[in-house]
Amino acid sequence: MENRPSVWSSNRFWRRSATWVTGVASVLLVFLTFDSMGQMKMGTAADIKNKVDKRIPSPLVINYKIDYKLNKTRGHEIPIIGGMDANGYSKYEEKEKFFGKDNWSEKEAKALIHKGKLTIQAKNCMDCHTLLGNGAYYAPDLTKAWLDPTWETLASAYGGKEYAIAKFLENPPAMAMHERKMPNLGITKEEAKAVVAYLKFMSAIDTNGFPRNFGKIKGAVDARK
Amino acid sequence: MQGNRLYEGQKLALKYFMVAIVLFGAQLLFGLVAAIQFLYPNFLFNILDFSIARILHINALVVWLLYAMIGAVYWLLPDEAGIEVVGVKLGNLAFYILTAAVAVVVLVYLFIQIGPGKESTIWFITEGREYIEAPRWADIGIVAVVLVFLYNVYATVMKGKHTGILVVLMADLIALAGLYLAGMFYTDNIAVDQYWWWWVVHLWVEATWEVYVAAVGGYILIKTLNANRKVVEMWLWIEVAMMFGSGILGLGHHYFWIGTPEYWWEIGALFSALEPVPLVGLFVHVLYDWGKERGKGNNIKNTPAFAWLTVETFGNFLGAGVWGFMHTLPQINLYTHGTQWPAAHGHLAFFGAYVAILIGAIYLAIQGKAGLKEMRMTKASWWAITLITVGVLIMSVSLTISAYVQTMVERGQYGGTWEGYFIAQANQWFVQGMGWRLFSGLAVVVGYGFLVYDLLTIDKKQPAEVREGAVAAA
Amino acid sequence: MIEPCHDVVCSFWSLLNEGPMTLTIILHTLIVLPMVWIYFDEKKKMERGDIPNE
Repeated sequence: MENRPSVWSSNRFWRRSATWVTGVASVLLVFLTFDSMGQMKMGTAADIKNKVDKRIPSPLVINYKIDYKLNKTRGHEIPIIGGMDANGYSKYEEKEKFFGKDNWSEKEAKALIHKGKLTIQAKNCMDCHTLLGNGAYYAPDLTKAWLDPTWETLASAYGGKEYAIAKFLENPPAMAMHERKMPNLGITKEEAKAVVAYLKFMSAIDTNGFPRNFGKIKGAVDARK
Repeated sequence: MQGNRLYEGQKLALKYFMVAIVLFGAQLLFGLVAAIQFLYPNFLFNILDFSIARILHINALVVWLLYAMIGAVYWLLPDEAGIEVVGVKLGNLAFYILTAAVAVVVLVYLFIQIGPGKESTIWFITEGREYIEAPRWADIGIVAVVLVFLYNVYATVMKGKHTGILVVLMADLIALAGLYLAGMFYTDNIAVDQYWWWWVVHLWVEATWEVYVAAVGGYILIKTLNANRKVVEMWLWIEVAMMFGSGILGLGHHYFWIGTPEYWWEIGALFSALEPVPLVGLFVHVLYDWGKERGKGNNIKNTPAFAWLTVETFGNFLGAGVWGFMHTLPQINLYTHGTQWPAAHGHLAFFGAYVAILIGAIYLAIQGKAGLKEMRMTKASWWAITLITVGVLIMSVSLTISAYVQTMVERGQYGGTWEGYFIAQANQWFVQGMGWRLFSGLAVVVGYGFLVYDLLTIDKKQPAEVREGAVAAA
Repeated sequence: MIEPCHDVVCSFWSLLNEGPMTLTIILHTLIVLPMVWIYFDEKKKMERGDIPNE
């Protein structure tokens, strides 16, 4: 109960510390943001041509086959665009038809992605689904929806999985797969195509291995039984 | 509290509080709809789909918290600065504009719901970005209204007393308002979109709002316990240091999986763990000081406000701190990201950190309005705080159990596919969790009923000795 | 101990990230260490008695 003043209980010390800490943390965040923004710029046609990996690839990836494979060096799964080389990285070679063609120009692809993103926002997709894991938890995650095995099984009946997904989006209740069905959001044919393009593009974003083991494991225990 | 003579700024605060409580009711109502839809997906299908119910649930939450926050500042501002709020007429005008804008936005959400995939939808119907769905025109309106609010605060403090609480609030509010700008643009790049979206969401709820709460919490402690202002201000600065020191770079824990570089794993993992600790420190310190003086005529001046502040202190620590840290490490978050985990954390944290203290601030305003020297809890206050707090606690625990199922079954066993998702959603433990969530949600709604009743009547239900004290003081 | 950077792009921050927790330790140090200096500075002022009464 002595009355000697201590720095620890002095307002001045804490006020100065708070000011310093806030300032330096903000400055660090600004520097980190500049670095991240540089790395997160959307890729270009030249990047694809030169086989440069980008975290967010060029919209032109819709012309290519996309996969999601474990990379030993990275230690997690990464998107594989246009086939995988011996080291487990993208080759940017194997093409895949998307709505009938695999030579979408950069301009066309960009326009498609633009409309797709606008539609995703205009229909409030994020308030049922998660995209890159963020959103609501009422419907499945869409990060790698393009690669989901469900669509592989439906692909042949519709002449390709892009057609199957587009058909579903135009009138989801008609193709409902679950009691918790998606409502009809008045998505037009053009919008559906654009959304599918966005899903394909999004599946090629490098998410540092999220979701882990996508589609690889089948459960052995079913707690419902 | 000086009898019935309120500052004009405080009368404006009461208006903000009124709208806040109404929107709180709307939040609970739409939350209930969404909770029912988890169990009975056909409920209101095609009329009020889950996405719409959820938009209204979370937007009503954000908007009512902001209303109550602005209200609480208008309440304490003239009291702390010792003068009338400068520009209170402008503040009143801003209040009506904001409320009209909120009404329009809500009606558009409810009845127009969605638009075509065009820029015009982003401008006039919805931006489709969780928490900040409000269309762009409303964003601009919100910024204008907030500028008026900031002007009022700054001009008042410049003219009046500069207390530590006000200085912290001034610095904090400008950051809070500025951050909203980070969410006001469109990009085709979803990773960049979410990067900046988190600047608004995280730097609001895990930095600037927390500091705001510490400042208002300090004010409530001074008012209810006669806390030593020096002690309050010291803890306030500790809170700022810890909150911003850890919270600003704590942003990293949202940058694990959205297309951001890998180094964010390490930044996000270790920052932001200690955020709510100083608030508990402040509370315990003040309570200890008060305990030494107890029985010398210094009763708690407003027991309901104090009770809600107690809920806030520990709710914040548990909800934001413990529940947040449980899934903040990237090694764990890889499997919990995008499951009910964040929902469990979010419910307890928003309630514990913000809802509780703002209700406390409203009780303080009711006491001031009635001009009571002391205000005691009624039966209704007790039922309100008990039902709401226990309800939210049970809700968070049940969501956590459902979240575990999702993490283990959907992510662990099935690798996160759609099939895995629906298998996990049908799992009996998941469904039970959702059932308990609905049940506890109903308890919260009943508690809300008690709360509204209590807020309307508590001043008339005070025991005789408290009322006489008021007469003597007046 | 040192894990070479395998990220898509290796920037300055990724280099700091190569050692065991080096990135987070450096950032925390930058933020916290100057508080030690502030502490002793305040202590000096306090002992000299030139702290104005607030």
